[in-house]
Amino acid sequence: MKQKISALMDGELFDDDAETILDKLKQNPDMQEEWRSYHLIGDVLRQSDNVHANISIAIHKRLQAEPTVLSPHKRDSHNARWLALSAAASVMALTLVAWLSMQVGSETVPQLAMRQSQNVQPANLPAHGLDDYLMAHQEFSPGLDVHGMTAYVHTVASQQEDQ
Amino acid sequence: MKARFALTLVLNFTAVPAFADIGKQVGLDWPQIIAFATHKTNYSGTFVYQYNGHMESARITHISDQSGEHEKLESMDGPRRAFIRNNDKVWWYSGDKKAVQVERRYNSKSFPALQPELLSALNENYLIYTAEQVRISGFDTQAIVFQPKDTLRYTHKMWAHMDSGLLLKAAVLNERKEIVEQYTFIQLNIGGEIERTHMMPGQSTASSEQQSNFATPSEISEQAATSEWKVAAVPVGFKKIMEKRRPLHGKNTDVIHFVFSDGLAGISVFIETSGNNVEKRLGLSSRGAIHVYSKIKDDYLVTVVGEIPPRSVIQIADSVRHNGQ
Repeated sequence: MKQKISALMDGELFDDDAETILDKLKQNPDMQEEWRSYHLIGDVLRQSDNVHANISIAIHKRLQAEPTVLSPHKRDSHNARWLALSAAASVMALTLVAWLSMQVGSETVPQLAMRQSQNVQPANLPAHGLDDYLMAHQEFSPGLDVHGMTAYVHTVASQQEDQ
Repeated sequence: MKARFALTLVLNFTAVPAFADIGKQVGLDWPQIIAFATHKTNYSGTFVYQYNGHMESARITHISDQSGEHEKLESMDGPRRAFIRNNDKVWWYSGDKKAVQVERRYNSKSFPALQPELLSALNENYLIYTAEQVRISGFDTQAIVFQPKDTLRYTHKMWAHMDSGLLLKAAVLNERKEIVEQYTFIQLNIGGEIERTHMMPGQSTASSEQQSNFATPSEISEQAATSEWKVAAVPVGFKKIMEKRRPLHGKNTDVIHFVFSDGLAGISVFIETSGNNVEKRLGLSSRGAIHVYSKIKDDYLVTVVGEIPPRSVIQIADSVRHNGQ
């Protein structure tokens, strides 16, 4: 479970999985706590200027302590019109998105598919075994024309990963 | 989530024309100047190479004279690893192990001029423009950007010395403008007398016993017995520049080697009979901008190596077909 929360934070989950986890998060306060502390850890590790300390509990307590004001609701006659207008705007926005996706057509379909696989994290190359392929490749790669022997640095640099 | 995809899609769509107005578009002069400088100038220097969160330094020495090109690249960190090249011959030294002769490609005579096919490919696949002028390690440089016209390849940015054309820095960036790898010279001597003593194999760098060669590169057969294999989904703009059966160091049997180029990035596809212990090597791995993906196809091991994004190497490996399939 912890792994999944962490994966969710990193945006590595597929939509379905992400939604399942989010549902569970909503229902389970312990997991919410975990979610918060993961973010806190992340913030501290990144040494970000605004560390997100958990003040939500404190705020919650303060809110509870606030006196409840009992007064009749002010009636707003514009409400219905606003609702209709915003509904119309949403429909228009949806139509625009739909139209744009039609315009882009088949071109973007593979792009979308690729976007999903972008989060694949390759392992660093093992130092042995693949050097032979790298060397064979480098010699024929057009990079050699431009970079000269500097292009071979990919093989020369591999040592540090052993250590 | 769907809405976010739609938004990304809209943003992508509107962002496309944006690169037309950055920097000054240049022709193919700069690539030519850089290639000429790289192969025809005498220089020696130290550079820092950054990739996958690592940083290492290496030293390069290059001499071009009547007898041709001589160069050496050696690691400055960790155990000694070095390449030494004398025209058509390249040796690879790794720690205390014996030297290995690496295959040298044939068209070295055409250096330093870039081949016309390569230049037209460059022009087709990249928008080439000049960016900022900055000082790097004491040299005035001009930045040149090679921006791909699609997302199938990386952006390359190079900083060339304004006087000599030598590269002081080069970076590879992904479509989010994040640096995938880069090297920067921290010290460089151009021209003049370059220390030659370490250049020739067989002098201070290798004793005679170390010179035994495992590979016999000159015997690589050009036979086109490889037509039984097909790489179906090569990214747009990549043209096949080689296809042959060849020995590969460390292999008992020959491998089939395809090479594709888009003018700046290269893709190699290796096909060989799958032996034992291949499992641990399957899947995706990377070193800076080079990604490697290996998979089993029937009884064969398919390995794709290229300076292209991970999804492209996977896509290529998945498209390798045996004849008739």
